[in-house]
Amino acid sequence: MIQFLRMGGYARYVWPAYGVTLLAVVLNIYWARALLARSRTDARRRLAMLGETQ
Amino acid sequence: MTWTWFHRLGSPPYVYRLARRLTPWFGWIGGLLLVAGLFDGLVLAPADYQQGDGFRMMYVHVPTAWLSMMLYTYMAVAAAIGLVWRIKVAHALAASCAPVGASFTAVALVTGMLFGKPMWGTYWVWDPRLTFELLLLFLYLGYMGLRASFDDTQRADRASAVLAVVGVVNVPIVHYSVVWWNSLHQGSSVTLFGKSAIYPTMLAPLLISMLGFTCYCVAIVLVRLRAEVLRRERAASWIQEALTA
Repeated sequence: MIQFLRMGGYARYVWPAYGVTLLAVVLNIYWARALLARSRTDARRRLAMLGETQ
Repeated sequence: MTWTWFHRLGSPPYVYRLARRLTPWFGWIGGLLLVAGLFDGLVLAPADYQQGDGFRMMYVHVPTAWLSMMLYTYMAVAAAIGLVWRIKVAHALAASCAPVGASFTAVALVTGMLFGKPMWGTYWVWDPRLTFELLLLFLYLGYMGLRASFDDTQRADRASAVLAVVGVVNVPIVHYSVVWWNSLHQGSSVTLFGKSAIYPTMLAPLLISMLGFTCYCVAIVLVRLRAEVLRRERAASWIQEALTA
């Protein structure tokens, strides 16, 4: 296990590379979902406003 | 041949529903392939005879670099379709690709720097491959900045689409930079036609994670596309249906 984590002496480079990539993977999921949630809220508000004027 | 499928792809409600239906498929298949590919690459693949375990960075560096070029190409093609046929959904798709592409271009650059330090002895050199990949990041950021500078979505679409289409010349330059110039960066290890310069047990995890990253990105772009389509629709009756479903 320790040997695996040491990555043959390349741990300083291998783990940050995987870390940065996984961070981007997670952040992109979060950003996309947040954007969709915001668009849905805005759309709901527009619908409500339209309902009032009619 | 009928063109109804093409016309349907220009219809916001159809695209919204299609995107919602396809997202879980691409998302879960992409996620599973990513886990399998990266586990295979980190644990199962044998260490390289020259680069030792350091070569395992390849499994995140190569797919993210691939994504940076693939997403730019998607974006430019969608922008061109939007410009030529004036299809709003195409512009929405182009706008959805940009932030995802920009983030993975940044990741490709960072993982490349981490790869470069132990293998070349430096994080950065003004090498053709690295320089044009950096230019790709600036093209994405320029595209996003240009979009953000317009209040009017239609004008933002048209102006940014021109930038996306003109900038696409950079994609083949990035790809062939290692062939055209004397570069520190190695040539392609994976070739579509002919024999790859990689041993099969090392190649398999790479192909799996590349496919995984691709499916994952399609899912992300589809979620963003739904948000973008919804934002553009002004009080259309189908929004009600889209929100309740």
